[in-house]
Order: sequence, then structure tokens, then C-alpha cells
Amino acid sequence: MGCSSSLPDRSSGRSTGLNNADNPEGPDAKNLRVKLVLLGDSGVGKSCIVLRFVRGQFDPTSKVTVGASFLSQTIALQDSTTVKFEIWDTAGQERYAALAPLYYRGAGVAVIVYDITSPESFTKAQYWVKELQKHGSPGIVMALVGNKADLQEKREVPVQDGIDYAEKNGMFFIETSAKTADNINQLFEEIAKRLPRPSPS
Amino acid sequence: METVTHSSPFDSFLDRMRNPASLDLVRSIKSFIVSFSYTASNPETDGKRIQEFFQTMEDAIRDHPLWASSSDDETDNALEGLEKYVMTKLHSRTFASTPEDVKIDAEISEKISLLQTFLRPQHLDIPSALQNEAAWLLAEKELKKINAFKAPRDKLLCIINCSRVINNLLLNASISEDHVPGGADDFLPVLIYVTIKANPPQLHSNLKFIQLYRRQSKLVSEAAYYLTNLVSAKSFILDLNAKSLSIEESEFMESMEAARLVNRVPQETVTTIDNRSKFGKLMDPGPSTLLHVKTQTNINGGSNYPYMEAEAGELTVGDVERLLSLYKDVVTKYTSLCNTVRHLSVSRTQRHDESLREPNGTHKDTCSKETEKRS
Repeated sequence: MGCSSSLPDRSSGRSTGLNNADNPEGPDAKNLRVKLVLLGDSGVGKSCIVLRFVRGQFDPTSKVTVGASFLSQTIALQDSTTVKFEIWDTAGQERYAALAPLYYRGAGVAVIVYDITSPESFTKAQYWVKELQKHGSPGIVMALVGNKADLQEKREVPVQDGIDYAEKNGMFFIETSAKTADNINQLFEEIAKRLPRPSPS
Repeated sequence: METVTHSSPFDSFLDRMRNPASLDLVRSIKSFIVSFSYTASNPETDGKRIQEFFQTMEDAIRDHPLWASSSDDETDNALEGLEKYVMTKLHSRTFASTPEDVKIDAEISEKISLLQTFLRPQHLDIPSALQNEAAWLLAEKELKKINAFKAPRDKLLCIINCSRVINNLLLNASISEDHVPGGADDFLPVLIYVTIKANPPQLHSNLKFIQLYRRQSKLVSEAAYYLTNLVSAKSFILDLNAKSLSIEESEFMESMEAARLVNRVPQETVTTIDNRSKFGKLMDPGPSTLLHVKTQTNINGGSNYPYMEAEAGELTVGDVERLLSLYKDVVTKYTSLCNTVRHLSVSRTQRHDESLREPNGTHKDTCSKETEKRS
């Protein structure tokens, strides 16, 4: 028995196979497609941010993508362009750090996540910023995200530290809460606005 | 089931190619295959040449009268058929085609076979909610199928199917076990573990083959992501040492050494006497099929133990030295085997216990006694 048949049919709303994984018309000036890589310590809530984003945009009852490490989501902007994010999650455990270049190669966007209750995760985020500045695609759009903003009473990384670091490195900065959905859509909308547009041919 | 979904678009591709109207396409394809077969293997340019040919043919097919009224899907099926046809014809010329690839394949496979003897999910900190032997077995099965296909797309599908099984496991764990979804933090360790359990044939060559010869427009998005994960798993396994795992360095070294010994024993000819001190005191392993098999191999191996057929009366004082050295050799090997076999069976029972979540006092006991003896 093939394994695909043993899967529950919940995934029918998503790409059903290799052939349909792509937008058949391909990307153009109005319909952008971008690879987004997620970096950050394990446990900072990288995948929760994405799940929140994908579920919130679509069908809130959908369980489609829970637990998945690759997700894609299209958003429409006010100027009637659409952006399809292909979100590549990376394993945040230290033992996999050396593998990250395999994932961020060719990425147009990097979202670097830390947990505002964990200074170590903020240090790790700075490590990723430096690494991407050295080895990421030229012109990569980077966003620094302080997650778990709902845990104000446990905060250990001041907002200002995030703002300052991001500003110094020319990045977009935002604090989010995957738990309450605060700022999740804003994060992706802001990234979408910052993407370089292909010049109309 | 798989063959049906795979072969029907391919058959329709072949059908159209039999149509006299596609003679020009057939000629281009055949002439490319012939000219490619006659040039020496060159890993630098082979991929580029074939990708360029796919692109040229894609343009030709899109402009071809026979496909004029075809939908995008139909054209895409034709292109998949083309890839399958060309890469099947050129398989022996392009797959594992350099001595270096063959060497890396052997290196990975050997390393995995050593790791298989002792690696447990805890060494990769895989949470117990994700420890599901049945799902892992399914995922392994998908991965092991990879050499059953010659076309890059079909090989890639094995990887994707394996990944989907794992995703499904993660999904179920998040629902039924109330496990907070960890995305790649969960996915990659499970994939690595499954890859080690499966030891898929020619892992390096298969990955390289897909990267070079799968149509580039198809190596995007989800497919590219899962391929990258397996590339990443391969790279992790190749570089793996004690520091890559949650394991004591000494335990790692010892387990690797023991595993090497098990792999080596049947071919071994003489003297492992120097290793004698590394292993603990002689202990009785009880009946063990593994031990039995190895012993048989050695005895049947004949000339290693020339006194096997000898009678006491035939021996002379001059034989004593040789007999003693053979005796020591046998004892050393036997001891090492006992240790290894014990180690293997302890690991297995332990894993079994953990999957049942029934801590078993007796086995834990054996395990700690064993550790004491070793240290």
C-alpha cells in the first residue's frame, strides 16, 4: 500500500501533488512568489507564528497544516498584487545549526525569531543576522521578530533592544504573539510591502 | 497503485511519440541520447546539458501542432514523460557515475549500519509523543523504495511520500497527544532517525541525481523543501559524532567500536588479541542466534582453526604455543561478541520498553550492571 493513501484526506485543500504545487501562470509583477526562511532557537515559536498566519488567513477550523514544516500562503495587498509566501521552517536546535545554509540558499526573505522571555534566544537571533549578512542571498529582506509578547510579566529582552538592533542592521522589527495572534498578519504584510518588485516588462 | 499513477501519463506520452507527426521530436530525443551517451561522464556539465535539453524540448513541445490544443496539465505530462524517458535511457551513464559518488554512498551506508546498532530516539531528543514505530516503519518503507525507480521524479516522490508520513505523524501527535506543534524542530530529527533506520540504498547518489536531473522548474516549493531536508539529514549523518547527539562521548565511541566489530568478525582472520583489554570480563551471553551464526561462519571458514579435526594423540609439545595463541584468539573474539550481543539486545529491549512506556526494572538493572562492568 502506498503511503499517500494512508494519509487522512485533510490535505485535499492543499497542493495535491508535485504537478499542482506551482502556480501554473508562474510569478509575474502582479503575483509574486517568494521563499521565506524561518530561523531561530527551538522553542521560540517559529512554527506557531506560521500556523497562526496560515490558519488565520484561511479557514480557522482547518487542521490541514498543523505540525507541518513547509507551508505556503498567499496574501493580497491593497495595490491588488498578491504575494505567495513559501515558508521554509528550520530546526532550531543547536546540533542542526550547520545545516542552515542549505535552507536559506535562494531565500528572498528571512524571518529571524526570538522569544522576549529568553535573552539566549535574542543572542542566537543576532548570530543568524550576522550569518545571513555574510552568506544570505544579496538583497534578502530580513525581519527580526520578538515572539511571545503576551508574556509581558516574564519579559527579559526590552523592546528597545530589539528596535535598536534591527535599526542598526537595516531590518524590519516587530513583536508578535502567536498565542493571541497579535501582529501576526502585520508581520507578513510588512514583509510583502518591502519585497522588491520585478520591473514591468 | 503507485505504478498506475506513474505510468499512465507516461504511456500517453509514449503514444503521442508514436504518432508520425511527432517524428521530429523523436529524432531530437534520440539524437540527444546517443550523443550524450558517447561523451565521457562530467559531473560539472552533465546536469546543465540535460537541463538545457529539457528546456529546448519544452519549447518545442509547447509550439508543436500535436500539443496545440493541450491543456497545461497535458503539456506538463508530456514533459514528465520526456524526463522519465531520457533519464531512464541515460540512467547508467548518469547515476552514481563517478568513483567518488560510489565511495560516498559506501561511506554513508557503512556509517548508518554502525549507528543502527545503538542509536535511540532519545539520542536525538525526539519527544515521546512522536515515537511511533508503526509510522516510522511506513516512512522507512517509502524511503527504501528509492532505487525501485530510475526517473528523478519518481525518486523524488519517494522522499515526498516519506515526508508526508512523518508530517502526518506530527499532525496526529499534536491532536491526540496534545504535543505543541514544533514544525521543523520536530520534523528534522524524526527524518534523520527514519533515514538511519531505513539506510536507503545509494543515498548520496540518489540525492545528487534528483538535484541534477529533475526538471528545474519542478524543484521548487514543497518538493524542494523536502529534498533539502533529506540532503540535510545526509549531511548531518556524514558529519555525525558524539557531539551531534545527546550521548556521552565514551558511550558513543564504545558503541561505534562494538558495531564495527560485529560488522568485521565474519571476515576476520587472526589476532584481535590487542583489543582484549578493551572489553570486560568473560560473561555468558546465553543462547543467541547471532552468536551462533558468527561462530558457524568462522568454523566453516576452515583454516583459521587447524586443530578442529585433530585428535589428542596426534598433538605434540611443539603444538602448545600455537594452540595457546589460538585459544587466546578465540576467547577474545568470543568475549567481544558477547559484549556486543548483550549491548544490542539491551538496546532493543530498552527501546521496546520505552515505546510501551513501561519502565522495566529488570532491564534497567541489566543495563546499569553492564555500564558498571564496562567502566
